[in-house]
Amino acid sequence: MVEHRTSAVTLGRGFWTATAVFAVLSALAIWFWTTTPLDIILPPVAAEPGAQIDSLLRFMAACGSALFIFVAGYIVYFAIAFRVRKDDAPDAIGVQVHDNHKLEFWWTIIPTAFVVLLSILSVRIWYGIQIAQPANGLTVEALGHQWYYTFRYPQIHGEITDEMHVPVNQPVVLNVTSADVIHSFWVPAFRLKADMVPGLINTIRFTPTKVGRYPIVCTEFCGTRHGEMDAEIPTENGKPNPGAQYFVVDTPANFEKWYHGWQVKNANASDALPTVSTGAISLAGGDAKAGGALFAQKCSACHAVGPFSQRIVGPGLKGVLHDPAHPNLVDGDPATPENVAKILQNGYKGDIGVMPNEAANGLSDKDIANLVAYLSSLK
Amino acid sequence: MSTTVEHAGGIADHIHPEPQGFIRRYVFSLDHKIIGIQYLITGFVFLVLAGLLAEVIRTQLLHANGGFVSNDTYNEVYTMHGSAMVWLVIIPLITGGFGNIIMPLQIGARDVAFPWLNMLSFWIFPVAGLMLFSSFLIGAPVAGWTEYPPMSLQAGPGTSMWAAAIFLVGVSSTLTGINFVVTMFQMRAPGMTFTRMPLFCWAQLATAPLLMIATTALAAALAALFMERQFGVPFFDPTKGGSPLMWQHMFWFYSHPAVYIMILPAFGMISEIIPTFSRKPIFGYKMIAFSSMAIALAGMMVWAHHMFTSGLAPYLQLPFMILTFTIAIPTGVKIFSWVATLWGGKIHYTTSMLFALGFLALFTLGGITGVFLAAVPFDLHVHGTYFVVAHFHYVLVGGSLMGVFAGMYYYFPKMTGRLMSEKLGKWHFWLFFIGFNGTFLPQHWLGMLGMPRRVPVYDPQFQFWNDVSTFGSYVMTFSILLFFINVLVSIRNGKKSGPNPWGARTLEWQIPSPPHYYNFKNIPTVYGLPYDFSQPLPYKGLEEELTDSPVHVGAH
Repeated sequence: MVEHRTSAVTLGRGFWTATAVFAVLSALAIWFWTTTPLDIILPPVAAEPGAQIDSLLRFMAACGSALFIFVAGYIVYFAIAFRVRKDDAPDAIGVQVHDNHKLEFWWTIIPTAFVVLLSILSVRIWYGIQIAQPANGLTVEALGHQWYYTFRYPQIHGEITDEMHVPVNQPVVLNVTSADVIHSFWVPAFRLKADMVPGLINTIRFTPTKVGRYPIVCTEFCGTRHGEMDAEIPTENGKPNPGAQYFVVDTPANFEKWYHGWQVKNANASDALPTVSTGAISLAGGDAKAGGALFAQKCSACHAVGPFSQRIVGPGLKGVLHDPAHPNLVDGDPATPENVAKILQNGYKGDIGVMPNEAANGLSDKDIANLVAYLSSLK
Repeated sequence: MSTTVEHAGGIADHIHPEPQGFIRRYVFSLDHKIIGIQYLITGFVFLVLAGLLAEVIRTQLLHANGGFVSNDTYNEVYTMHGSAMVWLVIIPLITGGFGNIIMPLQIGARDVAFPWLNMLSFWIFPVAGLMLFSSFLIGAPVAGWTEYPPMSLQAGPGTSMWAAAIFLVGVSSTLTGINFVVTMFQMRAPGMTFTRMPLFCWAQLATAPLLMIATTALAAALAALFMERQFGVPFFDPTKGGSPLMWQHMFWFYSHPAVYIMILPAFGMISEIIPTFSRKPIFGYKMIAFSSMAIALAGMMVWAHHMFTSGLAPYLQLPFMILTFTIAIPTGVKIFSWVATLWGGKIHYTTSMLFALGFLALFTLGGITGVFLAAVPFDLHVHGTYFVVAHFHYVLVGGSLMGVFAGMYYYFPKMTGRLMSEKLGKWHFWLFFIGFNGTFLPQHWLGMLGMPRRVPVYDPQFQFWNDVSTFGSYVMTFSILLFFINVLVSIRNGKKSGPNPWGARTLEWQIPSPPHYYNFKNIPTVYGLPYDFSQPLPYKGLEEELTDSPVHVGAH
């Protein structure tokens, strides 16, 4: 086959004018990405090393914008300049070039150089995030549950079920894991997240630099109320979701106050990781009033105090022990206080859904007795 | 295959008589062209269903507190949207559909190597699709198309149905991959060397090994998930000693290459359309062919970049990050080569060419955000957010689906002998292009600002951009409606196209539209690359194709 090549391929003035325009636009884009505050597209950064991640974004966005301006610009320019015109013969053909080794060499080498540069930058910042962060900071543990977070602090017994607090400008080592399915712990203002995987502990280390309240967001799908683990989301009745939590960065004095408050409050709580107790639970002395408060806190996310058909995740529980239409519980056992306690203790898993057990719900034997007393009182 | 020297047509160098009867011709057909069209029709039906699911998602997100459907329904809807779009729409359209119709014609073969296997591959696919959608009746899966355990172990019985259906689709894909590889190795016309093969075939050649190798990992993962759910065999449940991360490794070992399964054939289509409508040889043929192979190879080795926040050992993140960056190099080479092909051309603005140009711009943007996501530090911020959603829709809708539309406008005359309406086609393109960017561009900053994926309700501060996104999606859906109207009207009333309405030079355009059952009266001999517009066509033996001369039908 005869290789057909046009001997002289010239690029013309239009090409160089367009190239100059794209270069100016790229320079403007690079200037934009390196100087403009990123508040429109990112929440203000509130922790170290979040700022390093922002600088990597600025670098990638600047290079990416320049590349996109050139590619899209040439597409538009060529599409206009080399359109078929009215006076062209119907079988007119374009300039018959097959390749240009010099051009191909450069457009392979320049992206390769960019990849090397980006790799070096990314590895440096990766090192700053994953390796170089102080390992001796305040160690906190966060547990994901369906659908809330709990926290464990050194020298505070048991679990903290309220917001999470840390002092400003002090390194934090955050170990995360899950009590049920995979969740994720993301504070957008810190630019960091870690998946909460059951059976695995993931660690993120950072230093909060700004006092404030930041929503914690779950980014791994974890079930019916996954979306509502974001503290900024009001529930249907407009009240804040009881399960959603904020990450609060305090002044050192305020943190001390909060910390001691929990030390006192949890002085008698058990340090054991919650597990399912064995054996029947004594229901004697259950307090319906305490049970009602607990129901609002622990159960109302999934169960309404209403008729059976008023379903949220599980059925409405008004009259669960006194409903002639439903003499049996979900597991087929008759609706007696003892069998309700059994479900609260062990949870339920079956075709129609899942209810977490007492460990995942953070219920003590006393809590279960109170809840059963409360449920019995509903008619 | 002892006859490959004289008759590279090999096993297909004699002609079978065309089967008679509707069932044998159009239902259980062995003809690669009919099977390809069956794939297209089925794929487009599923596109309608999965597209309606997408509109349920966007309508729910019109308000920060949702309210269109319940949380559980919403979770079923987005899971089925993703699963159907990947496995029942894009992959079948682009491999089984266009691959089947075009590839054997382009290499000068009379069919694929294993026509019966081809028929089996096809018929598994609608059955699996119906199985997948029937899971709505028993409680569809909810944990997203990725179905991470333990969540997928808790969910209702539809998840097992999902696993079984996807397993079947995987079998169909694997068989198609085997069929295509053997066809391209054994059945090229004499003189059709690999370095003369059209770039669409090169793209299919790069895709087929991914179908064969990666899909087996998915099959293993799905079998394990099914056994754990149905029989309690503890693969993934950590409370019984299983590992949830093992699923993620196995799933992404398939699903990252699957991204290339969905995009490489679209690359191939673009590589055919751009030179035809620029009246120019493709720029850098060898580099484009080679870069497809490089992307396929590297694409097999980057799966863990989906798991940077999952609990991968920090040092293990580095090789996956850097390998992912390197994929930008061959991809960049392709994009630059296509742009260079436009230079100095005589560009014809057909709808097909508009979609190809739109593909170039949108895919470039999706590729750039892909590099962003590959960088571990930035991924720690945006993993699992709408930024990721925006990125992969730019690649899979702005890339693959635009490629499918470009291919439909381009190959519709070859399939039916009629042209699609250019006027309606241009409305389709511009509305689609505007609607698409309206839908997915805002999702980039929604994700960076803090909006996670897979949520039926969201922070009220994000409502404005979600509304923009939803209205964009309505425009996009309307444009696809125009496309279907165009197809249905043009099948009956479109202008007659003749064999080669675009002045294209690959083999499939040198024979009648639609081609005869046996494709070629005589297997042609090939003397060069198909893209030299200044040269005579590089084929011999095609003289009788457009005449009424009878064809010699032989038996075994």
